[in-house]
Amino acid sequence: MADRKLEIDGITKRYGATVAVQSLGFDVRAGELFGFVGRNGAGKTTTMRIVLGVLAPDAGEVRWDGRRLDLGARRRIGYMPEERGLYPKMRLAEQLAYLGELHGLTGSEARASARRWLDRFGLGDRATDDLQALSLGNQQRIQLAAALVFGPDVLVLDEPFAGLDPVAVDVMADVLREQADAGVPVIFSSHELELVERLCDRVGIIDRGRMVACGSVTELRAGGQERRWIDVPGASDDWDPGLPGARLIQADGPRRLFELDPGVDDQALLRAALDTGPVREFERVEPTLGQIFRAVIDEAAA
Amino acid sequence: MKARFSSLAGTRQLPTVFLVGRREVRMKLRSRIFVGGTIVMAGLVVVGIVAAALLAGKTNPVRVGFSGGSEALEPAFTASAAALGESVTISDVTDVSAGKAQVTTGTLDVLVTGSSTAPTAVAKDSVPAGVESALSLAAEAARLSDAGLSPAQVRSAMTLVPIQLLQPPNSKDTENLLASLALGILLWIALGQYGNMVAQGVVEEKATRIMEVLLAAIPPSRLLAGKVLGIGLVGLLQLTIVGAAALVAVHATNVAQIPALDAAAIVADICWFLLGFLFYATAYAAVASLVSRQEEVQGAVGPISILQVAGYLLMYASLPNPNGPLATICSMLPPFAPILMPVRMAATNVPLWEVALAAGLSIASIAGLTWLAGRIYSNAAMRIGARVRFMDAFRG
Repeated sequence: MADRKLEIDGITKRYGATVAVQSLGFDVRAGELFGFVGRNGAGKTTTMRIVLGVLAPDAGEVRWDGRRLDLGARRRIGYMPEERGLYPKMRLAEQLAYLGELHGLTGSEARASARRWLDRFGLGDRATDDLQALSLGNQQRIQLAAALVFGPDVLVLDEPFAGLDPVAVDVMADVLREQADAGVPVIFSSHELELVERLCDRVGIIDRGRMVACGSVTELRAGGQERRWIDVPGASDDWDPGLPGARLIQADGPRRLFELDPGVDDQALLRAALDTGPVREFERVEPTLGQIFRAVIDEAAA
Repeated sequence: MKARFSSLAGTRQLPTVFLVGRREVRMKLRSRIFVGGTIVMAGLVVVGIVAAALLAGKTNPVRVGFSGGSEALEPAFTASAAALGESVTISDVTDVSAGKAQVTTGTLDVLVTGSSTAPTAVAKDSVPAGVESALSLAAEAARLSDAGLSPAQVRSAMTLVPIQLLQPPNSKDTENLLASLALGILLWIALGQYGNMVAQGVVEEKATRIMEVLLAAIPPSRLLAGKVLGIGLVGLLQLTIVGAAALVAVHATNVAQIPALDAAAIVADICWFLLGFLFYATAYAAVASLVSRQEEVQGAVGPISILQVAGYLLMYASLPNPNGPLATICSMLPPFAPILMPVRMAATNVPLWEVALAAGLSIASIAGLTWLAGRIYSNAAMRIGARVRFMDAFRG
């Protein structure tokens, strides 16, 4: 179980002259939460649709557990499309059970599982209501339940956090973590970079159809720019440490924030600061995923 | 058998086409439109049959009253009327003016006055031709008898010319024509209704975006097949209910002599409905899959609707001459056969080879259309937004 993984291998998809996805490859291991980030139109949705088999790639293939995804394996993937969609005039329990059966459950399994997920999301007493009678937030929960109802082997969620209130975000995050902990590889796209940073084991940054960075947030930080807060009360307002590759980003009274290019020795910055007098504070600041994202995108554009 | 039972209990995976079809059946059976529509359709059919029965029973015997010496004509008149196929009732009227008053009020149809050799017929607006002839014959016989001929000589002199008909007319022709027309209209409504239901269902899945969720679970061809079969079953069920109501009404009102309404004909009609449904449902599904919004459905299905309306008009054009070249040729063409052939079969005797050829062509065209529709649907189903051009969907 632990070594099962979803492999996306060199997929390319063109729409006429536009290349939506270009030789894209990455993999998601069992038990891993994989965050997929990129600007609008970068190719996230196309990639996910190809994984699901709703779109056929022009080149490349998707493998699960070492085998090319076939109809049977695809049926075992839980999917939440970016454009949410369920039958508005169908009862909740019936709708979830129907989708469960379409994904291969028997009738009684599907009914039991639909009931379980409705209870889990606090909608057990509305089982016979039509979907359209629910609030948008509750409809989102049902959409997630639809992806989970058959106990998927893999979860692929396109913008699952979009439009959720803070409480619903926590519920969604809990469920995704729980699924990953149960050994299901979870891949989701999001523009909420803080959330992705907090939640994901690994992150893939996609830009104009190419994967420009992929790894854990720590790995993505390595080799990137670093920042230091330094509190130098004795320094003049226009103090310059005279260190190539160190730039002043922000000044807050005696506190200064410097950005260091890769390979610049932070101890040299400290020594230069000590030359101005006492140093009360010297703090390493990890770049956020947002900062990494912008840096990576800028670099890809250059 | 055991496996079948356990599948009903929900302990087996069921084929996805079955699951999709079952959902369609369940959703439709639960809708008020279906239940109400079935009741209305069955009601209309029963009312129509009862009306036809009343119409058929309206050939009441002609009431003829004799007075003022013409009573002697009664036996000869009755015999002649019977020979002429005119059904009459005879009565004696004592007072001529009272008899005329009865004719005026409508309690008597014809009053015969005067002597038996020179009678006069009094009627309100017309005298049925058979009555007039029978009366003339009876008076002629009375005159011959007066002239001294023996009863046997009179009988031989009055013998009617024997007539041999090569194509005897069906006395129920009018009723049968009406029944055929009603049948055609019913089939036409059912085909349009269920074809549109398929189109609406396809667009609903695109418009609500559930298409992507469904296609992540099952291939488009199975989704399409399940939908068409499910709605087809619902249609079949509805028509069977209406057909059963029709049969009950036919037997209760005793109009079973009308060929269009016998049991075998009703079964054949249901078979034609199935062929027509498969033809139109696949066509409707294919064009509906090109659009993404309910408002666009009517425009998208336009060409098929025109074909259906053409079938409707051809039905009227064919009925007066159901064995003519127009009716014969059009009832072979797959888009029109499901309406025209059953109507022709009701209206006249259609050679078996013509029926078989029409059915064969229908089945072949359904096979081709299913392939085409599957291709269009598969390619267009995921393209949500602007209307997909037919050729783009065909090329994929």
